[in-house]
Amino acid sequence: MAIQAFQLTKSFGNYLIFEDLSFEIPKGECFALFGSNGAGKTTLLRVLATLVRPTSGRFSILDHDGLTEKEPVRQAIMFLAHGSHLYDDLNAQENLRFAMAMRGQHPSSKELKLCLDQVNLGAFAEMKTRNFSAGMKRRLALAKVILAQPQVLLLDEPYNALDEGGVEVTNHIIRDMTKRAGIVVMTTHDREKATQVAHRTGLLHQGILTFSSTDNSTAHAIF
Amino acid sequence: MPFFRVIQWVVWKDLISELRSRETLSSMLFFALIVILVFSFSFAMDQDAAQQLIAGIIWVSFVFTGIIGLGKSFSAELQNDAIEYLQMSPAPKGAIYLGKMIGNLLFMLVVEIMLFPLFVLFFNLDIVEEIGLLLLIFFLATLGLSAVGTLFSALTVQIRAREVMLPVLLLPLAVPVMIAAVEATRGALEGQPLVIYSQWIELLTIFDIIFTVVSFWLFDLILDS
Repeated sequence: MAIQAFQLTKSFGNYLIFEDLSFEIPKGECFALFGSNGAGKTTLLRVLATLVRPTSGRFSILDHDGLTEKEPVRQAIMFLAHGSHLYDDLNAQENLRFAMAMRGQHPSSKELKLCLDQVNLGAFAEMKTRNFSAGMKRRLALAKVILAQPQVLLLDEPYNALDEGGVEVTNHIIRDMTKRAGIVVMTTHDREKATQVAHRTGLLHQGILTFSSTDNSTAHAIF
Repeated sequence: MPFFRVIQWVVWKDLISELRSRETLSSMLFFALIVILVFSFSFAMDQDAAQQLIAGIIWVSFVFTGIIGLGKSFSAELQNDAIEYLQMSPAPKGAIYLGKMIGNLLFMLVVEIMLFPLFVLFFNLDIVEEIGLLLLIFFLATLGLSAVGTLFSALTVQIRAREVMLPVLLLPLAVPVMIAAVEATRGALEGQPLVIYSQWIELLTIFDIIFTVVSFWLFDLILDS
Protein backbone atom coordinates (compact mmCIF):
# COMPACT_ATOMS: atom_id res chain seq x y z
CA MET A 1 0.00 0.00 0.00
CA ALA A 2 1.26 3.47 -0.79
CA ILE A 3 -0.46 5.40 1.97
CA GLN A 4 -1.33 3.68 5.19
CA ALA A 5 -2.89 5.37 8.17
CA PHE A 6 -3.42 3.60 11.47
CA GLN A 7 -5.71 5.00 14.16
CA LEU A 8 -4.94 8.62 13.31
CA THR A 9 -6.41 11.02 15.81
CA LYS A 10 -6.16 14.78 15.83
CA SER A 11 -7.51 17.22 18.35
CA PHE A 12 -6.92 20.92 18.94
CA GLY A 13 -7.23 21.41 22.70
CA ASN A 14 -10.60 19.99 23.68
CA TYR A 15 -11.83 19.87 20.09
CA LEU A 16 -11.60 16.41 18.60
CA ILE A 17 -11.23 16.74 14.82
CA PHE A 18 -11.10 13.05 13.94
CA GLU A 19 -10.45 9.89 15.90
CA ASP A 20 -8.94 6.50 15.07
CA LEU A 21 -8.92 6.94 11.29
CA SER A 22 -7.43 3.90 9.62
CA PHE A 23 -7.25 3.61 5.84
CA GLU A 24 -5.08 2.50 2.96
CA ILE A 25 -4.66 4.03 -0.47
CA PRO A 26 -2.91 1.95 -3.13
CA LYS A 27 -0.65 3.22 -5.90
CA GLY A 28 -2.46 4.44 -8.98
CA GLU A 29 -5.52 5.59 -7.07
CA CYS A 30 -7.18 8.95 -6.83
CA PHE A 31 -9.06 9.23 -3.57
CA ALA A 32 -11.55 12.06 -3.12
CA LEU A 33 -12.52 13.03 0.38
CA PHE A 34 -15.80 14.79 1.02
CA GLY A 35 -17.25 16.23 4.18
CA SER A 36 -18.92 19.32 5.53
CA ASN A 37 -16.98 22.40 6.65
CA GLY A 38 -15.01 21.64 9.79
CA ALA A 39 -15.18 17.89 9.26
CA GLY A 40 -11.38 17.70 9.37
CA LYS A 41 -10.60 17.11 5.67
CA THR A 42 -7.93 19.81 5.44
CA THR A 43 -6.44 18.79 8.78
CA LEU A 44 -6.14 15.21 7.55
CA LEU A 45 -4.33 16.41 4.41
CA ARG A 46 -2.03 18.60 6.51
CA VAL A 47 -1.19 15.59 8.68
CA LEU A 48 -0.32 13.56 5.56
CA ALA A 49 1.72 16.52 4.26
CA THR A 50 3.79 16.42 7.50
CA LEU A 51 2.69 19.96 8.36
CA VAL A 52 0.68 18.94 11.41
CA ARG A 53 1.56 16.20 13.86
CA PRO A 54 -1.31 13.84 14.72
CA THR A 55 -2.29 13.70 18.37
CA SER A 56 -1.96 9.93 18.18
CA GLY A 57 -1.73 7.20 15.58
CA ARG A 58 0.73 6.64 12.75
CA PHE A 59 0.87 6.87 8.99
CA SER A 60 3.30 5.90 6.29
CA ILE A 61 3.77 7.07 2.74
CA LEU A 62 5.56 4.77 0.30
CA ASP A 63 6.79 2.71 3.26
CA HIS A 64 8.31 5.72 5.02
CA ASP A 65 6.98 6.56 8.45
CA GLY A 66 5.32 9.97 8.34
CA LEU A 67 6.43 10.89 11.85
CA THR A 68 10.00 9.68 11.96
CA GLU A 69 11.09 9.71 8.30
CA LYS A 70 9.84 13.09 7.21
CA GLU A 71 12.53 13.83 4.61
CA PRO A 72 11.79 10.90 2.24
CA VAL A 73 8.07 11.51 2.73
CA ARG A 74 8.53 15.18 1.81
CA GLN A 75 10.55 14.19 -1.23
CA ALA A 76 7.66 12.03 -2.42
CA ILE A 77 4.71 14.34 -1.77
CA MET A 78 3.44 17.63 -3.04
CA PHE A 79 0.62 19.50 -1.30
CA LEU A 80 -1.45 22.14 -3.03
CA ALA A 81 -3.17 23.91 -0.18
CA HIS A 82 -5.53 26.88 0.09
CA GLY A 83 -2.54 29.24 -0.09
CA SER A 84 -0.70 29.21 -3.40
CA HIS A 85 2.77 29.20 -1.73
CA LEU A 86 3.89 31.90 -4.19
CA TYR A 87 6.01 35.00 -3.61
CA ASP A 88 4.20 38.09 -4.87
CA ASP A 89 7.35 39.97 -5.92
CA LEU A 90 8.70 37.14 -8.07
CA ASN A 91 7.33 36.48 -11.53
CA ALA A 92 5.76 33.19 -12.58
CA GLN A 93 8.96 31.71 -13.93
CA GLU A 94 11.02 32.78 -10.91
CA ASN A 95 8.43 31.31 -8.54
CA LEU A 96 8.66 27.99 -10.38
CA ARG A 97 12.47 28.06 -10.36
CA PHE A 98 12.56 28.72 -6.62
CA ALA A 99 9.91 26.10 -5.79
CA MET A 100 11.74 23.47 -7.81
CA ALA A 101 15.11 24.42 -6.32
CA MET A 102 13.66 23.72 -2.86
CA ARG A 103 12.96 20.18 -4.12
CA GLY A 104 16.44 19.82 -5.59
CA GLN A 105 15.23 20.21 -9.17
CA HIS A 106 16.56 22.72 -11.68
CA PRO A 107 14.37 22.83 -14.80
CA SER A 108 15.67 24.55 -17.94
CA SER A 109 14.03 27.68 -19.35
CA LYS A 110 12.53 25.55 -22.10
CA GLU A 111 10.96 23.16 -19.60
CA LEU A 112 9.56 26.10 -17.64
CA LYS A 113 8.06 27.61 -20.75
CA LEU A 114 6.51 24.31 -21.83
CA CYS A 115 5.07 23.81 -18.39
CA LEU A 116 3.62 27.33 -18.24
CA ASP A 117 2.09 26.77 -21.67
CA GLN A 118 0.45 23.59 -20.40
CA VAL A 119 -1.39 25.56 -17.72
CA ASN A 120 -2.13 28.41 -20.16
CA LEU A 121 0.18 30.87 -18.40
CA GLY A 122 2.82 31.04 -21.11
CA ALA A 123 1.97 34.66 -21.87
CA PHE A 124 2.38 35.63 -18.22
CA ALA A 125 5.78 34.06 -17.53
CA GLU A 126 7.42 37.42 -16.75
CA MET A 127 4.52 38.89 -14.79
CA LYS A 128 4.83 39.29 -11.02
CA THR A 129 2.39 36.92 -9.32
CA ARG A 130 1.19 39.88 -7.22
CA ASN A 131 -0.91 40.75 -10.27
CA PHE A 132 -2.27 37.22 -10.77
CA SER A 133 -5.90 36.34 -10.11
CA ALA A 134 -6.72 33.52 -7.69
CA GLY A 135 -7.33 31.18 -10.63
CA MET A 136 -3.98 32.06 -12.22
CA LYS A 137 -2.22 31.41 -8.92
CA ARG A 138 -3.94 28.04 -8.76
CA ARG A 139 -2.78 27.25 -12.30
CA LEU A 140 0.78 28.23 -11.42
CA ALA A 141 0.62 25.89 -8.43
CA LEU A 142 -0.46 23.15 -10.87
CA ALA A 143 2.59 23.99 -12.99
CA LYS A 144 4.73 23.07 -9.97
CA VAL A 145 3.10 19.64 -9.94
CA ILE A 146 3.83 19.14 -13.65
CA LEU A 147 7.49 20.01 -13.11
CA ALA A 148 7.98 18.18 -9.82
CA GLN A 149 6.23 14.96 -10.88
CA PRO A 150 5.65 13.92 -7.25
CA GLN A 151 4.69 10.36 -6.39
CA VAL A 152 1.94 11.53 -4.06
CA LEU A 153 -0.22 14.58 -4.69
CA LEU A 154 -2.34 16.08 -1.94
CA LEU A 155 -4.94 18.56 -3.18
CA ASP A 156 -7.03 20.74 -0.91
CA GLU A 157 -10.12 22.02 -2.75
CA PRO A 158 -8.35 21.83 -6.13
CA TYR A 159 -11.24 23.21 -8.18
CA ASN A 160 -11.62 26.42 -6.19
CA ALA A 161 -11.22 29.59 -8.28
CA LEU A 162 -10.62 27.62 -11.48
CA ASP A 163 -12.49 28.13 -14.74
CA GLU A 164 -13.46 25.19 -16.95
CA GLY A 165 -10.05 25.15 -18.61
CA GLY A 166 -8.34 25.08 -15.22
CA VAL A 167 -10.56 22.20 -14.06
CA GLU A 168 -9.65 20.29 -17.21
CA VAL A 169 -5.92 20.90 -16.60
CA THR A 170 -6.33 19.72 -12.98
CA ASN A 171 -8.15 16.55 -13.97
CA HIS A 172 -5.62 15.89 -16.73
CA ILE A 173 -2.78 16.09 -14.18
CA ILE A 174 -4.65 13.77 -11.83
CA ARG A 175 -5.31 11.19 -14.57
CA ASP A 176 -1.70 11.44 -15.72
CA MET A 177 -0.44 10.87 -12.17
CA THR A 178 -2.60 7.83 -11.50
CA LYS A 179 -1.61 6.35 -14.88
CA ARG A 180 2.01 6.62 -13.71
CA ALA A 181 1.03 4.72 -10.54
CA GLY A 182 1.07 7.92 -8.52
CA ILE A 183 -1.40 8.61 -5.74
CA VAL A 184 -3.75 11.57 -5.50
CA VAL A 185 -5.68 12.47 -2.38
CA MET A 186 -8.04 15.40 -2.71
CA THR A 187 -10.59 17.11 -0.53
CA THR A 188 -13.44 18.84 -2.24
CA HIS A 189 -17.08 19.80 -2.06
CA ASP A 190 -17.45 19.41 -5.81
CA ARG A 191 -18.57 15.79 -6.15
CA GLU A 192 -19.36 16.09 -9.84
CA LYS A 193 -15.87 17.18 -10.87
CA ALA A 194 -14.13 14.89 -8.40
CA THR A 195 -15.97 11.74 -9.43
CA GLN A 196 -14.76 12.26 -13.01
CA VAL A 197 -11.27 11.29 -11.84
CA ALA A 198 -11.58 9.63 -8.44
CA HIS A 199 -11.40 5.85 -8.12
CA ARG A 200 -12.71 5.93 -4.59
CA THR A 201 -14.44 8.50 -2.48
CA GLY A 202 -14.75 8.87 1.23
CA LEU A 203 -16.96 10.87 3.53
CA LEU A 204 -15.53 12.30 6.71
CA HIS A 205 -18.40 12.96 9.07
CA GLN A 206 -18.19 13.47 12.83
CA GLY A 207 -14.69 12.03 12.83
CA ILE A 208 -15.65 8.81 11.02
CA LEU A 209 -14.48 7.97 7.51
CA THR A 210 -16.69 5.87 5.22
CA PHE A 211 -15.61 4.77 1.74
CA SER A 212 -17.38 4.16 -1.55
CA SER A 213 -16.24 3.32 -5.09
CA THR A 214 -16.88 5.33 -8.25
CA ASP A 215 -17.28 4.39 -11.89
CA ASN A 216 -13.53 4.99 -12.30
CA SER A 217 -12.68 2.41 -9.62
CA THR A 218 -11.68 -0.25 -12.14
CA ALA A 219 -9.25 2.13 -13.80
CA HIS A 220 -6.52 1.65 -11.21
CA ALA A 221 -6.90 -2.11 -11.02
CA ILE A 222 -4.46 -2.53 -13.90
CA PHE A 223 -1.56 -1.01 -11.90
CA MET B 1 20.06 17.82 -2.20
CA PRO B 2 23.02 20.24 -2.62
CA PHE B 3 23.19 22.24 0.62
CA PHE B 4 24.91 25.33 -0.79
CA ARG B 5 22.57 25.62 -3.77
CA VAL B 6 19.61 25.84 -1.38
CA ILE B 7 21.39 28.66 0.47
CA GLN B 8 22.03 30.45 -2.85
CA TRP B 9 18.40 30.13 -3.93
CA VAL B 10 17.02 31.45 -0.63
CA VAL B 11 19.40 34.45 -0.74
CA TRP B 12 18.53 35.03 -4.40
CA LYS B 13 14.80 34.93 -3.66
CA ASP B 14 15.08 37.40 -0.75
CA LEU B 15 17.33 39.79 -2.69
CA ILE B 16 15.14 39.80 -5.82
CA SER B 17 12.00 40.30 -3.73
CA GLU B 18 13.61 43.17 -1.83
CA LEU B 19 15.05 44.82 -4.94
CA ARG B 20 11.54 44.91 -6.39
CA SER B 21 9.53 45.87 -3.33
CA ARG B 22 12.21 47.88 -1.42
CA GLU B 23 9.91 47.37 1.54
CA THR B 24 12.48 46.30 4.12
CA LEU B 25 15.37 48.57 3.19
CA SER B 26 13.22 51.70 2.87
CA SER B 27 11.56 51.20 6.27
CA MET B 28 14.94 50.45 7.90
CA LEU B 29 16.55 53.53 6.34
CA PHE B 30 13.66 55.81 7.21
CA PHE B 31 13.69 54.70 10.85
CA ALA B 32 17.48 55.01 11.11
CA LEU B 33 17.49 58.50 9.63
CA ILE B 34 14.97 59.66 12.21
CA VAL B 35 17.08 58.15 15.01
CA ILE B 36 20.24 59.87 13.73
CA LEU B 37 18.46 63.21 13.43
CA VAL B 38 16.99 62.95 16.94
CA PHE B 39 20.38 62.10 18.45
CA SER B 40 22.22 64.76 16.48
CA PHE B 41 19.78 67.48 17.61
CA SER B 42 19.85 66.17 21.20
CA PHE B 43 23.64 66.51 21.36
CA ALA B 44 23.98 69.61 19.16
CA MET B 45 24.97 71.76 22.14
CA ASP B 46 27.24 69.25 23.82
CA GLN B 47 29.74 67.76 21.40
CA ASP B 48 31.89 66.33 24.23
CA ALA B 49 29.02 64.24 25.56
CA ALA B 50 28.24 63.16 22.02
CA GLN B 51 31.82 61.98 21.48
CA GLN B 52 31.66 59.92 24.68
CA LEU B 53 28.35 58.31 23.79
CA ILE B 54 28.75 57.97 20.04
CA ALA B 55 29.55 54.21 20.06
CA GLY B 56 26.36 53.53 22.02
CA ILE B 57 24.34 55.84 19.78
CA ILE B 58 25.62 54.07 16.68
CA TRP B 59 24.70 50.64 18.02
CA VAL B 60 21.29 51.67 19.36
CA SER B 61 20.52 52.89 15.83
CA PHE B 62 21.91 49.79 14.15
CA VAL B 63 20.23 47.29 16.48
CA PHE B 64 16.76 48.84 16.35
CA THR B 65 17.04 49.33 12.61
CA GLY B 66 18.10 45.70 12.32
CA ILE B 67 15.08 44.56 14.33
CA ILE B 68 12.81 46.23 11.77
CA GLY B 69 14.51 44.27 8.99
CA LEU B 70 14.48 41.02 10.94
CA GLY B 71 10.79 41.43 11.69
CA LYS B 72 10.04 41.64 7.99
CA SER B 73 12.30 38.73 7.09
CA PHE B 74 9.85 35.93 7.80
CA SER B 75 6.66 37.93 7.49
CA ALA B 76 7.34 37.84 3.73
CA GLU B 77 7.02 34.07 4.00
CA LEU B 78 3.45 34.47 5.23
CA GLN B 79 2.34 35.76 1.82
CA ASN B 80 0.21 33.04 0.28
CA ASP B 81 1.34 30.71 3.11
CA ALA B 82 4.71 30.32 1.40
CA ILE B 83 6.23 29.29 4.73
CA GLU B 84 4.29 26.02 4.46
CA TYR B 85 6.14 25.21 1.26
CA LEU B 86 9.47 25.71 3.05
CA GLN B 87 8.26 23.59 5.98
CA MET B 88 7.34 20.62 3.82
CA SER B 89 10.10 20.96 1.24
CA PRO B 90 12.78 18.27 1.40
CA ALA B 91 15.46 21.00 1.35
CA PRO B 92 17.77 20.94 4.40
CA LYS B 93 16.27 23.33 6.93
CA GLY B 94 19.74 24.41 8.02
CA ALA B 95 20.40 25.63 4.47
CA ILE B 96 17.13 27.59 4.49
CA TYR B 97 18.19 29.15 7.81
CA LEU B 98 21.62 30.14 6.47
CA GLY B 99 20.04 31.60 3.32
CA LYS B 100 17.63 33.72 5.36
CA MET B 101 20.43 34.74 7.74
CA ILE B 102 22.74 35.82 4.92
CA GLY B 103 19.90 37.84 3.36
CA ASN B 104 19.25 39.59 6.68
CA LEU B 105 22.98 40.19 7.18
CA LEU B 106 23.24 41.81 3.74
CA PHE B 107 20.24 44.09 4.33
CA MET B 108 21.56 45.18 7.72
CA LEU B 109 25.08 45.79 6.39
CA VAL B 110 23.77 47.82 3.44
CA VAL B 111 21.82 50.06 5.80
CA GLU B 112 24.78 50.40 8.18
CA ILE B 113 27.12 51.33 5.33
CA MET B 114 24.66 53.99 4.19
CA LEU B 115 24.15 55.35 7.69
CA PHE B 116 27.68 55.43 9.01
CA PRO B 117 28.79 58.37 6.81
CA LEU B 118 25.89 60.34 8.33
CA PHE B 119 27.21 59.63 11.82
CA VAL B 120 30.67 60.76 10.68
CA LEU B 121 29.15 63.94 9.27
CA PHE B 122 26.77 64.83 12.10
CA PHE B 123 29.11 63.90 14.96
CA ASN B 124 32.36 65.00 13.35
CA LEU B 125 34.11 61.63 13.70
CA ASP B 126 37.68 60.99 12.64
CA ILE B 127 37.66 57.47 11.22
CA VAL B 128 40.30 57.51 8.47
CA GLU B 129 42.88 55.39 10.31
CA GLU B 130 40.46 52.92 11.86
CA ILE B 131 38.02 52.40 9.01
CA GLY B 132 39.11 48.81 8.35
CA LEU B 133 38.72 47.83 12.01
CA LEU B 134 35.38 49.60 12.27
CA LEU B 135 34.07 47.71 9.25
CA LEU B 136 35.26 44.43 10.81
CA ILE B 137 33.48 45.27 14.08
CA PHE B 138 30.30 46.21 12.21
CA PHE B 139 30.43 42.95 10.27
CA LEU B 140 31.01 40.73 13.30
CA ALA B 141 28.37 42.39 15.47
CA THR B 142 25.81 42.42 12.65
CA LEU B 143 26.51 38.74 11.95
CA GLY B 144 25.74 37.91 15.59
CA LEU B 145 22.52 39.92 15.54
CA SER B 146 21.48 38.42 12.24
CA ALA B 147 22.24 34.85 13.42
CA VAL B 148 20.07 35.03 16.51
CA GLY B 149 17.57 37.47 14.98
CA THR B 150 16.79 35.19 12.05
CA LEU B 151 15.98 32.36 14.45
CA PHE B 152 13.67 34.56 16.54
CA SER B 153 12.07 36.01 13.44
CA ALA B 154 11.11 32.44 12.43
CA LEU B 155 9.99 31.67 15.98
CA THR B 156 7.67 34.69 16.26
CA VAL B 157 6.36 34.89 12.71
CA GLN B 158 3.26 32.79 13.32
CA ILE B 159 2.21 34.45 16.57
CA ARG B 160 -0.16 37.38 16.74
CA ALA B 161 1.99 39.87 18.65
CA ARG B 162 5.14 39.18 16.60
CA GLU B 163 6.10 42.87 16.29
CA VAL B 164 6.30 43.05 20.09
CA MET B 165 7.64 39.57 20.76
CA LEU B 166 10.62 39.77 18.40
CA PRO B 167 12.43 42.60 20.27
CA VAL B 168 11.30 41.24 23.66
CA LEU B 169 12.93 37.89 22.92
CA LEU B 170 15.86 39.13 20.84
CA LEU B 171 17.20 42.05 22.87
CA PRO B 172 18.13 40.13 26.06
CA LEU B 173 20.09 37.63 23.97
CA ALA B 174 21.65 40.39 21.90
CA VAL B 175 22.92 42.28 24.94
CA PRO B 176 26.35 40.56 24.98
CA VAL B 177 26.78 41.34 21.27
CA MET B 178 25.73 44.94 21.84
CA ILE B 179 28.10 45.43 24.77
CA ALA B 180 31.03 43.93 22.85
CA ALA B 181 30.16 45.96 19.75
CA VAL B 182 29.91 49.23 21.70
CA GLU B 183 33.19 48.64 23.55
CA ALA B 184 35.08 47.66 20.39
CA THR B 185 33.62 50.59 18.43
CA ARG B 186 34.49 53.01 21.22
CA GLY B 187 38.08 51.72 21.26
CA ALA B 188 38.41 52.10 17.50
CA LEU B 189 36.82 55.58 17.39
CA GLU B 190 39.00 56.86 20.26
CA GLY B 191 42.10 55.58 18.46
CA GLN B 192 43.11 53.27 21.35
CA PRO B 193 45.75 50.63 20.61
CA LEU B 194 44.08 47.47 19.28
CA VAL B 195 45.43 45.38 22.15
CA ILE B 196 43.19 47.26 24.60
CA TYR B 197 39.92 46.38 22.91
CA SER B 198 40.83 43.29 20.89
CA GLN B 199 39.18 41.04 23.51
CA TRP B 200 35.82 42.58 22.57
CA ILE B 201 36.42 41.65 18.94
CA GLU B 202 37.33 38.13 20.01
CA LEU B 203 34.18 37.99 22.11
CA LEU B 204 32.10 39.06 19.09
CA THR B 205 33.67 36.26 17.05
CA ILE B 206 32.84 33.71 19.77
CA PHE B 207 29.24 34.94 20.01
CA ASP B 208 28.92 34.70 16.23
CA ILE B 209 30.06 31.10 16.22
CA ILE B 210 27.84 30.07 19.15
CA PHE B 211 24.74 31.90 17.89
CA THR B 212 25.13 30.62 14.34
CA VAL B 213 25.71 26.99 15.31
CA VAL B 214 22.92 26.87 17.91
CA SER B 215 20.44 28.67 15.64
CA PHE B 216 21.36 26.38 12.74
CA TRP B 217 20.47 23.30 14.78
CA LEU B 218 17.34 24.78 16.36
CA PHE B 219 15.87 26.10 13.13
CA ASP B 220 14.62 22.70 11.95
CA LEU B 221 12.73 22.28 15.23
CA ILE B 222 11.23 25.78 15.04
CA LEU B 223 10.17 25.53 11.40
CA ASP B 224 8.58 22.14 12.03
CA SER B 225 6.63 23.32 15.05
